[in-house]
Amino acid sequence: MAETAATEASGHGTESRRGFLTILTGAASAVAIGAIGWPLVDALNPDAESEAGARLIVDVADIAENTAKAVQWGGLPIYIRKLTAQQIADAQAVVPDTLPDPADFMSRVPAAYQNYVVVVGLNTGTPCELEGNDPADPRGDFGGWICPCDGSQYDPLGRVRSGPAKKNLAIPRFTFINAAQIQFG
Amino acid sequence: MTTDAKQSWAGERMPCLGGLCGALFAPRCTPEGKYLDTLPGLIAIALAFLTLSGAVMAAYYDPWHAFASVQFIRREVNNGWLVQAYHATGATALFGLVYLHLFRVMLTRAYRAPGEFAWWLAVKLLALLLFVGWMGFVLSGGAAGYWSLFNAANAAVSLPGAPGAVARWFLGGPAAPASLARLEMFHTVLALAALAVAGGLLAARRKVAPQPAPGKGVAFYPYYLAQYLAALAVFALIFSVLLFFAPHFGQPAVNALAADPLTLPAGTALPWYLLPLAGVADALPGLWGGVAGVAGALVVLAALPWLDRAGPDGAKGKLYCALTWILALDVLALGATSAAHDNPQAPLLLGLFTLWYFFHFLVLTPLVTAMEAK
Repeated sequence: MAETAATEASGHGTESRRGFLTILTGAASAVAIGAIGWPLVDALNPDAESEAGARLIVDVADIAENTAKAVQWGGLPIYIRKLTAQQIADAQAVVPDTLPDPADFMSRVPAAYQNYVVVVGLNTGTPCELEGNDPADPRGDFGGWICPCDGSQYDPLGRVRSGPAKKNLAIPRFTFINAAQIQFG
Repeated sequence: MTTDAKQSWAGERMPCLGGLCGALFAPRCTPEGKYLDTLPGLIAIALAFLTLSGAVMAAYYDPWHAFASVQFIRREVNNGWLVQAYHATGATALFGLVYLHLFRVMLTRAYRAPGEFAWWLAVKLLALLLFVGWMGFVLSGGAAGYWSLFNAANAAVSLPGAPGAVARWFLGGPAAPASLARLEMFHTVLALAALAVAGGLLAARRKVAPQPAPGKGVAFYPYYLAQYLAALAVFALIFSVLLFFAPHFGQPAVNALAADPLTLPAGTALPWYLLPLAGVADALPGLWGGVAGVAGALVVLAALPWLDRAGPDGAKGKLYCALTWILALDVLALGATSAAHDNPQAPLLLGLFTLWYFFHFLVLTPLVTAMEAK
């Protein structure tokens, strides 16, 4: 036993010991470089302020029926509209295939809160900010939004109904946190 | 493929590359290298590290809201506090390495031919870094930095003729946010220039390094790489201690306040690495006196290979070695006095220490080295 240990310590184990030390040094260097370098890489991730802005929370409880609230998110005007029972019934009655850009009712509203419509308030033809958030604003023939630039008209669900525009209003990524708040991103 | 083979492969296809490889990774070195010989390498690594952390901060830094943007980096950016501390402590570490390297070369008298070119590169590096370091200190947007810029800019911009025109071009008017935007640009450009000078220093030092006897040399890898790693580990340890336990080391406390153009803070000061030269500048009267002092201090340093009269192979005497140590103490004393410049004795002491500095180089060095070489 003692002889084996002595052999290992003197000559026999040198090769494996060198290999072990090489691996140890290499591993320690890799960890050190990673630990020093990671903060430099991580610092270029979105900062806390942008991160908070990218995950904007909006209060929707104060929106009156038939009115829309405009907020800015990701550099875009976002319209959050609360529908009346009449508007919901009207929108459900429309046959999607008759529309320029067919979309049914459920594809335009959140499943759990079907009286809210959240859209990007930019005309899909000429990119202008749409009018019609307030009941007193001009809204066009379909009671939704109208573009002051090219006259395109949208219904309350943000589906294009007439005008040069051919696409429905885009729907941003959002979720209802609870009945009163939605979060974007 | 061996290092030699790689070198010739690259050298055949791009001759200057082969030369660069040879200069940076000399295939044969003497077996007994000193650990302090790794200082130029560590300087290059520290400078590259500062460039990296500075590049990351440049993504967030805003010269029009300098102080607020530094606060933003420290609070809102992921790991921003660490990146900012890397940069601030990196400056301290870099100047520590450069001063140590210069002192060591003076002590071993390695500046003598054929080492004079490496010595000039080292002095040039110091001069560049002093300028870059001052600009970085000003860019922090703190009260001390602002008033340092204000004083320098107002003095320089009001100069008549060409110097004033150059100052106005460089600063874009006295101490405005526009000046900081320019200084940010010059800080970056000159830091990259310093990186090039550090590379040159590394290559020039390789040439000066003692050549091994035929058949006795060892390869850079793994022998010297292991030595570099060991030196780097010690450096990283000291750096970490400074970084985590003294993140504001050598910085004037006033700089933690935001700059206010209407409030002159009680104690304006400079970071530690600028203090000795600021002491020389303060000791001489007027703006041109200060400029001449700073330039003169660097010029006599660069002229050391000529001022040393012992010749390349002359004996290294004990007296001159002792005088070099005294010079180091003198420089430390200049810095300490400059930091305490409100002391009533400070002007007298600054004058004395400045006098000794120039006396050492211009009188003592030629005399003592010539005497000892006999």
